[in-house]
Amino acid sequence: MSRYIIRRILQAIPLLFIISILLFVLMMNTGDPLATMGGRKPTRPEDRARLERQLGLDKPIYMQYIFWLIGNDWSKIDMDGDGIAETPGTRKGVLRGDFGDSLVSRGKAVVDIIMDRLPNTLILMIPAEIIVIIASLLVGIYSALRQYTAIDHIVTGLSFIGYSMPIFFVALLSMYIFGVNFKQWGLPYLPTVGMFDPKVGKTVGQVILHMILPIFSMTVITAAGYSRFVRSQMLEVISEDYIRTARSKGLPKRTIISRHALKNAALPLVTIVGLDIPMLLAGAVVTESIFAWPGMGRLFIDHLSRSDTPVIMGILMMISVVVVFSQLVTDIIYAWLDPRIRYT
Amino acid sequence: MRKWLFAFVVSVVVLSLFFSACAPKPTPEPEKVIRFAWTQEPDSLNPFYTDMWFSAILQQLYLCWAWEFDDQNVAFPNLVTEIPSMENGGLSEDGLTITLHLREDIEWSDGKPITSADFKFTYDMIMADGNAVFSQYPYDYLEAVETPDERTVVMKFTEPFAPWLANFWRGILPKHVLEPVFEAEGSMAQAEWNSAPTVSCGPYVFDDWESGSYLRFTKNENYWKGVANIDEVFMQFVPDDAAQTAALAAGDADLGTFPPLSDVPKLQEAGLTVFSVNGGYSEGWFFNLREMASPGVKDLVVRQAIAKSIDKEAIVEDLLLGLTEPAETYWDALKAQGYVSPDLVPWEFDPDGARQMLEEAGYVDSDGDGIREDADGNPLTVYHGTTIREIRQDIQAVTQQYLKDVGIDMQIQSWDSDIFFGSYSDAAPPAMGEVDIMQWSDSTYFPDPDTDYWLCSQIPNDENPWGYNYFTCDEKLDELLQKQLVEIDPNARAEIIREISTYVHDQVYWLGLYVDPDMWIVSNKVTNVKFSGVTPFYSIMEWDMSE
Repeated sequence: MSRYIIRRILQAIPLLFIISILLFVLMMNTGDPLATMGGRKPTRPEDRARLERQLGLDKPIYMQYIFWLIGNDWSKIDMDGDGIAETPGTRKGVLRGDFGDSLVSRGKAVVDIIMDRLPNTLILMIPAEIIVIIASLLVGIYSALRQYTAIDHIVTGLSFIGYSMPIFFVALLSMYIFGVNFKQWGLPYLPTVGMFDPKVGKTVGQVILHMILPIFSMTVITAAGYSRFVRSQMLEVISEDYIRTARSKGLPKRTIISRHALKNAALPLVTIVGLDIPMLLAGAVVTESIFAWPGMGRLFIDHLSRSDTPVIMGILMMISVVVVFSQLVTDIIYAWLDPRIRYT
Repeated sequence: MRKWLFAFVVSVVVLSLFFSACAPKPTPEPEKVIRFAWTQEPDSLNPFYTDMWFSAILQQLYLCWAWEFDDQNVAFPNLVTEIPSMENGGLSEDGLTITLHLREDIEWSDGKPITSADFKFTYDMIMADGNAVFSQYPYDYLEAVETPDERTVVMKFTEPFAPWLANFWRGILPKHVLEPVFEAEGSMAQAEWNSAPTVSCGPYVFDDWESGSYLRFTKNENYWKGVANIDEVFMQFVPDDAAQTAALAAGDADLGTFPPLSDVPKLQEAGLTVFSVNGGYSEGWFFNLREMASPGVKDLVVRQAIAKSIDKEAIVEDLLLGLTEPAETYWDALKAQGYVSPDLVPWEFDPDGARQMLEEAGYVDSDGDGIREDADGNPLTVYHGTTIREIRQDIQAVTQQYLKDVGIDMQIQSWDSDIFFGSYSDAAPPAMGEVDIMQWSDSTYFPDPDTDYWLCSQIPNDENPWGYNYFTCDEKLDELLQKQLVEIDPNARAEIIREISTYVHDQVYWLGLYVDPDMWIVSNKVTNVKFSGVTPFYSIMEWDMSE
């Protein structure tokens, strides 16, 4: 197993290198960071020419990639526009842990910008993922064990309704019902946006209160989809011979479900959850935007809309690394759940 | 393994909660807090590292300008004792020297006096090669800034610069805070002050900024003009328009900006007031008459027919719910200052007149397909491009039909703004001349009437890849634009601007669609509210909150 893990890690290095080249080239073609610089007017030509030179955006793409990768502290920049490069570069490059500075939040390191947002995303996404897993298992198993009963039909109907609703609709609907209308009706209501009420301050209670609606919006759709998946897997497993054998041996129903059926039915779910892991870090763009949650999804969109290559590359490379390693973790969990799987 | 996994997940959640919730200092409950729903998070609080409107307009909270602008967009002295003029000797006869006299009582929030050295330092930082500021305009018109004493700033020009009042000294930097950073780093880009300007000179001082979440200012107890009525300004970043509406309707925010127009009646019903403020912007069509443009659009008769074919009143009423008004000239926002001739004849909606003009000019529909052809049999087709903003795409669809009704085929396209506003070197569609008509909202160097869009020197090409005159090089217009820039007699300059605005209008170089005001939504709990189009929060220290 150790040899397998080491081999996978070594394989990941050239893979990440290729990913970085592809992403960088794509990013350089998504727009001009100096086009408006967030303003309402096009950037003045004299300023655009100066900034391209000072920020190194006048270099060919391959040189900008090299600077991003290994830094520019071995070269000089023409800051004054006299045609002679006189100012030593200061960037160390990704290979030395320097992801550069944002073009938008000038002077701020990419790593600092990402680390400001990552905890907010994790406190939103991890509970949401846990709730999704628990809810989908409970609903899926319950529904499977009562196949074609009235309750199964009701659960199936609700699942389809939940799964077919777009996230922005659920988010705005829940915001208006529980945030706006409940308040107007004089009922206990939930906050609409943000992480806390400024009049109360940023307490744990306030953060949890503000997490309710975004988590609800995210989980209701995902859990609806996953529960269908669990249900179909459970139906397949409980009709297997070994389950019939277990029943005929007189094992209690709970033991059959929890020890024999669930473990096998959960295998495909592990694959899906494994694919979700990078998304835990990437955040939820729509949910974060609607509920004004300061997470990674919004960071990505805000900086993508300004063609802020350093920040976007930082986020995408972080996600790429997590994708590669989460697949490795998924494979290891597979082996733990299913003793028939062996990696050599 | 399962226990370990469970413990790991719980630890991550608990630690994240701990770091995000417990790290900041506990907030004492303030007496009066105004909550802004701010749809775009500022990129920097250093005024020279940002061009964002949502960042720039905050300067009246924590920074100070030499002069600011009131709700009529008229300048009033702030750091200076009076606005320089020829009458008070502040502006020299030849227009080459402007002298500012600073007030005696002005000081930074840390008690240090604001002096002419801060003005000189601000100029030096803008022009320093190491700083890569977003724009050096208009400081690159200066020859030098001199400081004969602590209270006097002398601006020297090589030639007169008429738009000085609207554009200079928008934010002064604290020399005593930033100079040590610049001396150590060769740039102020790394200064903590850029994101945490704890030393400031406005009615409020910076308190806290959590990325993506909020920005908080508390009142400046040392403000030389007095102490603000409201204790705290809390800006919640709410990027989603619908969420902003919900937050305002629920009372979770007291002030918002640029709401979706369809939400305005709902917000008014919820007891909020809409302020429509002239910020100098108008939405309109820029016409490309360069060599690569379609032949039809280069013909003045066709452009005039287009102008007569568009029902601007209907666009304003139907698409903009009557919340603004049609625009006629690029200088409409400055009509009150006399920059638009009263004799100007507006383009009336007259499709029959447009058809007749085209017919007389030889554009007839010879093949019966509903689209006219020119004398050579080429269909009268024009290409229209804009950004992906929803209202612009709606207007594209409506105007396409208007033009079709008079026999003009308009092909439409839209791009993301970073692509649309790219340069010639980026091969951006407008810069390359891929469209004949370009639509966006723009202004002069408001509240000044100067613009450099139609200067011949701004035509983009291989030698000048960043030029932004995507329209035309008209020598008469070029001469007038250069003439007004150096004309320091206000009356003579106004006369030139009137000539320019009439000429651009009659030549249909720019066709106005609607005035694009800054829209503010304010809770009725907030009192004494006034906005300026240049410095929106110029009077925020007088605002108050009622229960």
